[in-house]
Amino acid sequence: MSWIILLIIAIIIVLLVLISVYYINRIIVFSNRIDNAWAQIDVQLKKRADLVPNLVETVKGYMKHEQKAIETVTKARERMLSAGGVEDKIKAGRELAAALKTIFAIAENYPNLKASENFKLLQEQLDGIESKIAYARQFYNDSTLSYNNTISTIPGRWFAGAMHRVKRPYFEITEEERAPVRVSF
Amino acid sequence: MEKISFFDQIARNKRNSILLSVLIVSLVVALVYTIGRLLLSEFVIFFLIFAAIFMSVHVYTSYNYGDKIVLKATSAKPADPIKHIYLINTVEGLSIAAGIPPPKVYVIEDNEINAFACGKDPKHASIAVTTGALKNLNRAELEGVVGHEISHIKNYDIRFMTLVAVLVGLVAILSYLLLRSYWISRRGGKGKAGLLILVGFLLAIFAPIVSRIVQAMISRRREFLADASSVQLTRYPDGLASALGKIAKINQGKMRVSESISHLFISDPNRSPLDKLFATHPPVKERIKALRAM
Repeated sequence: MSWIILLIIAIIIVLLVLISVYYINRIIVFSNRIDNAWAQIDVQLKKRADLVPNLVETVKGYMKHEQKAIETVTKARERMLSAGGVEDKIKAGRELAAALKTIFAIAENYPNLKASENFKLLQEQLDGIESKIAYARQFYNDSTLSYNNTISTIPGRWFAGAMHRVKRPYFEITEEERAPVRVSF
Repeated sequence: MEKISFFDQIARNKRNSILLSVLIVSLVVALVYTIGRLLLSEFVIFFLIFAAIFMSVHVYTSYNYGDKIVLKATSAKPADPIKHIYLINTVEGLSIAAGIPPPKVYVIEDNEINAFACGKDPKHASIAVTTGALKNLNRAELEGVVGHEISHIKNYDIRFMTLVAVLVGLVAILSYLLLRSYWISRRGGKGKAGLLILVGFLLAIFAPIVSRIVQAMISRRREFLADASSVQLTRYPDGLASALGKIAKINQGKMRVSESISHLFISDPNRSPLDKLFATHPPVKERIKALRAM
C-alpha cells in the first residue's frame, strides 16, 4: 500500500510545481506587459514633444500677439524632455497637452493659419498622437488591471508576496483633461 | 436581450471555432484514406505519405505567401503617408490599444465600404481599407471598422482563416480525386468491398458541400468575435454599429473579388441572394443587434 501513498505524494508535488511555475510566469509576463505599455506611452510623448518646434515655426508668423502661449508650449516641451521618472513624465505630458490645446484654440481666430497645409498636417499628426496616447493608456490600464487582479487573488497573492510584488498604479486622467479647453482673451 | 460581456463572447467563439475546424480536418483525413484504399490498396502507405507531403507544401506556401497574393488580387496599394495619414494614425492607435505591432496599411480604390486584414501572424500583418470607407465613415465609425480588422489580427483569425480556406480547397480537390479513383478502380474490376465504395461515393459528393458550410459557419462566428473585440479596443460599440448600418445602406455587394477570399472582408464583397448557408458573414442586422446589446 505504501507505494500508492508515495505516488499520491509525487502527483501532489508535481501539481504544486506546475501551479507555481504557471503563476510565477504569469506575474512576470503581466508585469513586463505593463512596462511595455509604459514604453508605448513614452514613445508617443516623445514624438509629441518633437513636433513642437515645427509647430512653433509654423504658428509664429501668424500669431504675432500670442507670444505668451507660444512661450508656454516651448517651456512645456523643455520640461517634457528633461522629465525623469514615470510620474514626472506624466505630469509634464499633461502640461504640454494643455499648452498645445491652447495654441489650437487660439488658432481658431487665424483663418489664414488654419488654411495652411502645413498647419493642417501638424494638427492631424498631433490629433493622431493624442489618440495614440489615449489608446496606449487604455492598454496600460488593462495590463495593470490583469496584473493587479492576479497578484491580489488567491493563489497569485501568495506568490506575489514571496516575490515581493506589489500592486501597480493606474494611469488616471484628471478632470481638466476631460473637460474641453476654454481660452480667455 | 441580455447584456453579454465581450470577454464571454471571445471565449465562446474560440471554443466553437476549434470544434468546427476539427470537423474539416477529419473530412480531409477521411477523404485521403478512402482514396488510398480505393485506388491503391496495396500501396496505401505510399499514397498517404505522398498526400501528406503534397498537402504540407500546399499549406506552407499559402501560409507564407497568402497575404501577398491576396493584396495583389484586390489591387491594394500602400497607403500614402501624407494623404492617408488619418487612416495610418487610426490603425497605429488601435494596434497600440491591442498591444500588437502596427500592421502595414493599404488602400483599395473602390466606392464600397469594406476592409480586410491578412498575414500569417501579428508581426507580418496588413490591413486594407477601401476609399469608399475613407470617404463615407466618420472617425468613430472608421475606428470601429479598423478595430474589427485589428482584432482579426490579434485573435490570429487571419492565420486561422487562411488555413481554413486552404483546407476547404483541399477537400474540393480530394473529392474530385476520389470520384475519379472510384471510376478507375471500377474499370479495374477488382471487386472492392461494396460498403467502401458507397461510403467513398457519399464522401466525394457531400464533403465539399459540408466543408463550405463549415467554413461559412466558422467565418460567421469569427465575425461576431471580431466585432466584440473591436469594442474591447474602442470602448464604443455605437461606432462600429453605425458603420455597419452605413455598409448595409451603401454597399451593393459588387466588388470584384474572388469568392475564395471573400471571408476576409468585414462585409461580404460579393453579396448574392444565395441561401443563408453559404454566407461567410452574418446578416448585418444581427451584428448590429449584438453590438447594441454590449
